[in-house]
This record gives sequence, C-alpha cells and structure tokens, in this order.
Amino acid sequence: MQPSGGSLVNVRIDAEPLFSLGPLTVENSMVGAVLASLVLLAAAWWFVRRASLVPTRLQSLIEFPVEWLSGIVRTSGGHRWRGFVTFVMALFLLILVANWLSILPGVGTIGLVHHASDGSTELIPFVRPASADLNFTLGLAIVSFVTFVSWALRIHGIGGYLKELRGEPAYMAPLMMPIHVISELSRLISLSMRLFGNVFAGEVLLATMLALVPLVVPAVFMGLELIFGFVQALVFALLSMTYIILAVGTHETEEGLPEPARERAAAGAGH
Amino acid sequence: MESNLAAGLAIGLGAIGPGIGLGIAVSKAMEALGRNPEASGAIFVPYVLGIALAEAVAIYALVTALLLIFIK
Repeated sequence: MQPSGGSLVNVRIDAEPLFSLGPLTVENSMVGAVLASLVLLAAAWWFVRRASLVPTRLQSLIEFPVEWLSGIVRTSGGHRWRGFVTFVMALFLLILVANWLSILPGVGTIGLVHHASDGSTELIPFVRPASADLNFTLGLAIVSFVTFVSWALRIHGIGGYLKELRGEPAYMAPLMMPIHVISELSRLISLSMRLFGNVFAGEVLLATMLALVPLVVPAVFMGLELIFGFVQALVFALLSMTYIILAVGTHETEEGLPEPARERAAAGAGH
Repeated sequence: MESNLAAGLAIGLGAIGPGIGLGIAVSKAMEALGRNPEASGAIFVPYVLGIALAEAVAIYALVTALLLIFIK
C-alpha cells in the first residue's frame, strides 16, 4: 500500500488504524468524522440557546448557508421539498465541515511515528479528514441511495418502482431492466467515488506541494481546497436532491403541467 | 514502473474529455449569464450538476490512476 520507489510524500489510500476497542478498530478518519459531527452539534447547540430575532454576526454566519440551500431546494424541489430539505442540508453541512477539516493545521501532520518491521518509519496522523476515506463517502452514498429508493417506493409503491425499472414497452424489459438497474447502482459508485477522489487527490496535492515548496505555495492550494471542499459538498447534496426529485416526480408530471412549464413556474415563483 | 506509466496515461488521457466538456459548459453558462443576468439563480443548480457529471469521468480516471499507484 505504500507509494513505490523513492517517493517524495507518504500517503496511504486507506485510513490508518489508531487503536482498537474490542472488535472495532478505530481509524483516524473516524476521528475526523466524529470531529466534524461535534463541530456541527456545537454550532446547533449554540444556535438553539443563543438565537435571537435580530441576528448577531455569528448567528447570521450559521443562518446564511441554511437559508441559501433551503432556497435552492425550495425553488427546484417541487411541492414535496419540505420532506427532504433537512436531509439535503444535513448532507451538505456534514460534508462541508468534514472537507474543511483537512485545511486545519495539525490535521494529517500531528500523529504517532510507527516503526515498521523492516526499519522504515511512518507517521500515523491522529486525524484524517473523513471524506478522504472511501468508507465515509460510500456510507453517505448508501444513505442517499436508500433515501431516494425509499422515496420512490413511498410515492409509487413497489409495483410502480418495478414498472419504472422495467421501462416503457414491456417487451423491451430484458434489455432495459439491466440497464436501469445498473444506472441506479452506478449512482452509488459515482456519488462516493466523486467525493473521495476529489478530497483524496486534494490531500495528495497538498502533501506534494508541502514537500516540494514548503513556503507560500501550499497556501494557494489550500485556498483551492477551500473552494473544492465547498463545491463537492454542494454537488453531493444537490445530486442527492436531484435523485430524490427524479424518484418522486415522474408520475406527478403526467397529471399536472408538462415538465418544462412546471420548471418555469417554479423558477418564476422563486423570484 | 509499468503501472506508474499506466497511471499517468490513465489520468492524462481521461482528463481530455471532461476538460473539453467543462469548457463548453462554463462558456455556455457565462454566455447565458451575459445575456440574462437575472437568471443566475435558475442557471446555478443545473450548471453545478452538469459540471459534476462531466467531472465524474475525470474522477473515474483519477481513481483508476490512484489504484494503479497505491494498490499493488
């Protein structure tokens, strides 16, 4: 699992184990995930206790992303947007905080030095940003997958969902059904791989730049990481929202307005 | 050695298509914004989603390259 040859940087694609609690091995990406959740919980706790009608500066800092994202969900989510706005928001905030943890000093650089049996040494950091571990992103993608499939089942029933998987002319089912099933499952892969690939590549990029030019230059890439972390969190949340809308929407458009007119009406109502 | 070469080729060739696609998407979005600045809210979500889907292909190439380098 080590990079081959005389490598400049030491990056592992899997999370490093820190210690074990009985059968559970605690890895450093778990610490990152718990840390991100704690940050969100602390913000929520502070907000519930201290929120006032006239927002202070810190309060509007917390309110801003919530209002902004719920505005997006409201304008493009159809009339059931209240059902999944909290889910989309939770995904966005958790991934955003988990991504931005990687820029904090000490994350990925403070840790235990592990001496391998062949004499080489390796740094095992205490905290690894959670999204740089495929287990975290795949877990989130599974949650998103279960959510949009259960929305489809709730709205259309099992028969309706199977009919959608089967495709329109029934005699084409042997051809279309595998394609539809694979395209549903590929969402799982693409959601998790996109987030993991971006954040892990960012980590490798930062480590390489720190090894090449230790001064000034890494700061530029940290700024880039801020943007990428935000965009990837937004993309994960918005794609989950789109999958839910697709799962919910198909039948309702038949009775109501055709799709483009509905979208125009929704966009017009937002302004 | 061969796998390092393969990893470089994978991400290098795999980034061509998404690069072209992203360029087209961004240029069209900017054009739309220039023509109709009030539509920025309506353009934003489809724009981000389209960019994410185009970028996914590059991410697949990146994951392939990472697997070639790190998993022996």
